[in-house]
This record gives sequence, structure tokens and C-alpha cells, in this order.
Amino acid sequence: MSITKAPVALYNVERQAGEAAELWNAITDQQLADWEALWQPSLLLAIQRLHGAKVPLRQWPQSRHWDWRRKAASIRGMLANPAFSLMCAGVTQGMMILETTRRRCRIEVQKGKNLVYVEYVENAPWNRKELLFDPPRYRGVGSILMRAAIETSHSEGFKGRIGLHALPQSNPFYARTCGMTDLGADSNYLGMHYFEMTFEQSEEFIARGARP
Amino acid sequence: MSTKRTMTLNLTDAEMQVLEELCDKKDLSKTALLRQALRLYQVVESRLERGEKFFFEDDKTKEKAEVMML
Repeated sequence: MSITKAPVALYNVERQAGEAAELWNAITDQQLADWEALWQPSLLLAIQRLHGAKVPLRQWPQSRHWDWRRKAASIRGMLANPAFSLMCAGVTQGMMILETTRRRCRIEVQKGKNLVYVEYVENAPWNRKELLFDPPRYRGVGSILMRAAIETSHSEGFKGRIGLHALPQSNPFYARTCGMTDLGADSNYLGMHYFEMTFEQSEEFIARGARP
Repeated sequence: MSTKRTMTLNLTDAEMQVLEELCDKKDLSKTALLRQALRLYQVVESRLERGEKFFFEDDKTKEKAEVMML
């Protein structure tokens, strides 16, 4: 499969300016090497800082056990699982895996219709303020990846409808920044909140632009 | 984002009727519906190849019926 690299821009917090980036429609060995060599040590550093600051365990990033190498291997060649990565300054800044066949909408106005489900999405540790990287290196990673999920929804014929279960730290991002509907805690999914986006909400999100 | 190729698909009247009914019901174009079918077929095949079974379960009785795939 040939990889498409679409030009996008992230906000460099230190320089207070936009910086050219690329959205790849794949997760390749290059991203997995970054995850192993750069993300993992940063995540460990973050966990040590959280531990040192006596932050309760429940507030540590739940994604700390995610193994992107295993996740990428499990979807290799599967049409139902498009994957994306975001590159900036030659380094992976975010990764995302989608699912396009198994889930259906829950919001009443679109109940039962197909949607793109965001299986996994993660920002590089150094871009996450909650991991005590303050200031974070780049802003805008999550918004660009969500826009990619919406565009995938359109290309699948699902008219921008997307859904996901959010890790607790991310609830405000999906509710406020993305403008998704919070359908509350899902008892079938470890009590994580389920968020869904309608066609109208996706249009509003795109119209606002990918803001940091 | 990927390059797309075009193919011609010949369907019987009955098949076309089912396709149109499903498109109506699912609010999808014919192309989108057939692409979905392909994705689903690949998911099912891949899981069967891994040794998993494909069941339908009655929500009330919890009775399971295995789906046999060609």
C-alpha cells in the first residue's frame, strides 16, 4: 500500500508559531520505532514525575500500557481498520487506529446508522500537559487526528459520524474542543464515557478548523 | 486518500433490489455499501482463520447459532 502524506500544521508552543507537519494514512515501522525509542522513555519519565508529585494512581495515563507494536500488527492489511500517524520535526507526534464495520450510532437522531469508531488515539507524551510536560511541545495533534476520523467517515459514506470511548483525562477535549455528545459512562466499557459526533457536529468542528 | 480503481458489477434484478433496499435502510450509496460488505467479509474471514467462531445470539433466549461461511 502506498502511503499518503498530507501537509498539516501543528502549533509549536515554545516558538508560539505554526510548524509544518504531515498526516500519514498509516502506522509504519518508523512510527513504531519512535514509540519504542522516544515515547516509552518519555512516558516512563512522566510516570516517575507523577509518582514523585504524589498524583494518585487513578490519575496516571490509562494508555500507559498500550502496546502500539501489537496493535499495529493486529490490524495489518485489514480494510476495516484505517490507521493514521502525525509527523512533525521528523518525529511521531500522534497515532490513531479506526474501526469502520462493527459499531453503530447510539444518538437517537442517527441511531443504528454506521459510524467510524476511534479504537485508539494517542498523543506523544511530551505534548501532554497532564503528564507534567508543561509547556507541551506541540498543540493540535488531537484535533488533526479527529479531523482525519471525520474525513474517513465521509469517505466511507457515513457523513462525518464518529464515536469513541474516552479515557477520563480526555473527556473535556471531546466534549468541549470537539463538540461531541457525551452519552455518559458505559458500563460495558469499564465505565468510560461514550462520545458520539453527528453530521452537524462534524461540520461545526471542521468549520472551526483544527485549533490547538 | 488512496487511489481508487473502477469496476463493473453485474447483478440480477433480485440482487439489485436487495442492494437498493439495504442502501435505503443504511443510508449508504451502493459503492459505500459494497465496500462495507468487503470490509466485513475480510474481518469475518480473518477471525475464522484464527480459529474463532462466528455466532448470532438471540438476545432473549441467549441461544447461539453458528454462521457457516463459504
